[in-house]
Amino acid sequence: MNKKAFAGLFLLIVVGAAGLRLADLSLRPMHHDEANQALKFGALLEKGDYRYDRADHHGPSLYYLSLPFARALSANTLAALSERTLRLVPACFGIGAILLLLLFVPLIGKEAVLLSALGLAVSPVMVYFSRFYIQETLLLFFLVGFIAALWRYKRRPSWTWAAAAGFFAGMMYATKETSVIAFGSIAAAFLLTSVFKEKKPGNPGGRTWMHLLIGLGTAILVSLSLFTSFFQNPRGWLDSILSFKVYFIRAGEAGFHVHPWHYYLQTLAFSKSGSGPVWSEGLILILAAAGIVAAFRRTSGAEADRSSLRFLVFYTLISTAAYSLIPYKTPWNILPFYLGFILLAGSGAAALLKAFRIRLIRALVFLLLAAGFLHLGAQAWRASFVYPADPRNPYVYAQTCPGFLKLIGRVEDLAAVHPDRKKMLIKVIAGPYETWPLPWYLRRFDRVGYWTDAAGAGPLEDAAVAVTDTEQVGRLESILVQSFQSEYYELRPNVFLVLHVRANLWEEYLKSRAER
Amino acid sequence: MKRPIFLIIALSIVFGPMASTPSGAAQEQGKEELKLQLPKPMFIGTPRNINSPNLEKITGKPRGAFFVPAGTKLVSLNKPVIASDMQPVIGEVGCVTDGEKSGEDGYFVEFGPGKQYVQIDLKTSQPLQAILVWHYHSQARVYRDVIVQASDDKDFISGVITVFNNDHDNSSGLGIGKDKEYIETFEGKLFDPRGAKARYVRLWSNGNTSNDMNHYVEVEVYATPAQ
Repeated sequence: MNKKAFAGLFLLIVVGAAGLRLADLSLRPMHHDEANQALKFGALLEKGDYRYDRADHHGPSLYYLSLPFARALSANTLAALSERTLRLVPACFGIGAILLLLLFVPLIGKEAVLLSALGLAVSPVMVYFSRFYIQETLLLFFLVGFIAALWRYKRRPSWTWAAAAGFFAGMMYATKETSVIAFGSIAAAFLLTSVFKEKKPGNPGGRTWMHLLIGLGTAILVSLSLFTSFFQNPRGWLDSILSFKVYFIRAGEAGFHVHPWHYYLQTLAFSKSGSGPVWSEGLILILAAAGIVAAFRRTSGAEADRSSLRFLVFYTLISTAAYSLIPYKTPWNILPFYLGFILLAGSGAAALLKAFRIRLIRALVFLLLAAGFLHLGAQAWRASFVYPADPRNPYVYAQTCPGFLKLIGRVEDLAAVHPDRKKMLIKVIAGPYETWPLPWYLRRFDRVGYWTDAAGAGPLEDAAVAVTDTEQVGRLESILVQSFQSEYYELRPNVFLVLHVRANLWEEYLKSRAER
Repeated sequence: MKRPIFLIIALSIVFGPMASTPSGAAQEQGKEELKLQLPKPMFIGTPRNINSPNLEKITGKPRGAFFVPAGTKLVSLNKPVIASDMQPVIGEVGCVTDGEKSGEDGYFVEFGPGKQYVQIDLKTSQPLQAILVWHYHSQARVYRDVIVQASDDKDFISGVITVFNNDHDNSSGLGIGKDKEYIETFEGKLFDPRGAKARYVRLWSNGNTSNDMNHYVEVEVYATPAQ
């Protein structure tokens, strides 16, 4: 393939990927986790306040990398932020991950890179979580960079590739502490690849040790800077190491997110829920199998190519096994190991196209591949634009229901008729799992208090509006019946919030509606 | 994650009563607005993903016994049904009175978005003793603007008795209702028509907390024979 054709096709893929990732970013209501991250970022944006929390929320890179996006869009306060501004961050890193695949051209070839880029661009799970304000897509971006830099270094050792690998590794760690799973898988894959290498590796020379030091030094410096909030919180980096204990316990303990070992593979291969459509990324899995065969065929490509392909095989198998064996599973954790499948699928598809010498058969394979990738793209569209918050979409997980936005709309309408407008007192009395994403949606109200129990919230009658979980409704029944008008809203499937409006405000509201 | 629960409770005990200061009141001389420090939300990880039916604890107790006059019978089974939307999105209009009450797919009818009604013709005017409705119960939901009416007039122009109305903001335009919203469960919702005599029963709804569509699994009308 000539350079111009490659550049043109790659550009087309990037444009398509951008379309799927950037369009209508505010379509889906904010997820509980997104709202948590948004408020954490809001504190950094408004007050420069960030301290690493080893118990939750992962590393700081998401927050620091959100800053330029917010500044560029003139959002200097939490209130000025929007879903679109926040989700632009993962969306851009999702597109960036595709661009980084260009680094693989000398390793797996132009055709394989093009087909991998296409897979990454239209994979439903990749598109869906590129539009989700959490760390996963950033981790994916840095992982692509790290693997590419490592192999580029291996191909032609230099201090620049060593530093690049160190930078990406440091950013991976500063994005999610659980990146150690990917690091472990990469190390094990390297070891296994060297076993299959035909030439025995030589002893590392003095320059190699120097490069290793450069790489490690860069990784430590990058992660240290971010975890310590640029040296304002010296404990941050130590806490990031101590967090392993927290995540190790969480990974193994029985809890909300325990799923069987085959959860990820089954979700990718085939899923259908109730009357919903069938979802499958089976094409990627099948092509990845072809990629595995190509990696171990003696006739395919040069030794360097085969080594990097074999590395990808081992990385994919080991990381998939590691993520599958950990009982704690959420669908966004698919991304780091699925990257391996996509790279192998690209190589597998390229190998298939080369394998057939008869033009007609090759054209048929091409058409089948085109139809398969189109189908993936259609599913990506369906997942992100038709079923973005529908539980029948396998990637929708503990997602806020669209109906929840009607609660927010009602509160806005009530504030419009309240004499204090957005300074009216709102009391939220709900368990922490039932509280979010209210703090995000009520961020423009000045007087909102959050309690987990009615006993601590003081007299309810003080509030113009109260939002409670259903458990509190029973406890507050006598007050609510006398003084409030109550309405139910669905927060998540089978989880409700109840909006209580003080009777006199409700009367005012009804009058204003009648006058309209 | 630190959970500043004690701080939240302490702050709310101290400042809770102060929050009652009516901020809209005119400012008195020599006084200033009390700046309240309200508790902040607790940061917490991903919540449970609930896909299975009725896993979450729903408030309310199981329905107790409901007493009706002796001789009360189910009179709606297989009776003709009409609807404001005679071309349902899913299912058949007739499933409203077919006696099947399962919450699974295939046992409910789905009508279009917004305000919709179904109407049952009991064939004779008789004293109604109970109306039991299952909108949808494979997932907890609250249906909006549930209004139950009974009448001898098939067009519901005259002699309309409103048995239940929880349209508290009159968004359906049939008058403000004072009844409370309720969460759908497998028990269905029982409405008490208090012996009102009618041939037709009309049930309105206006979407639900999950989507804007309207659903019925089954409606049962119980009555005593007309004298």
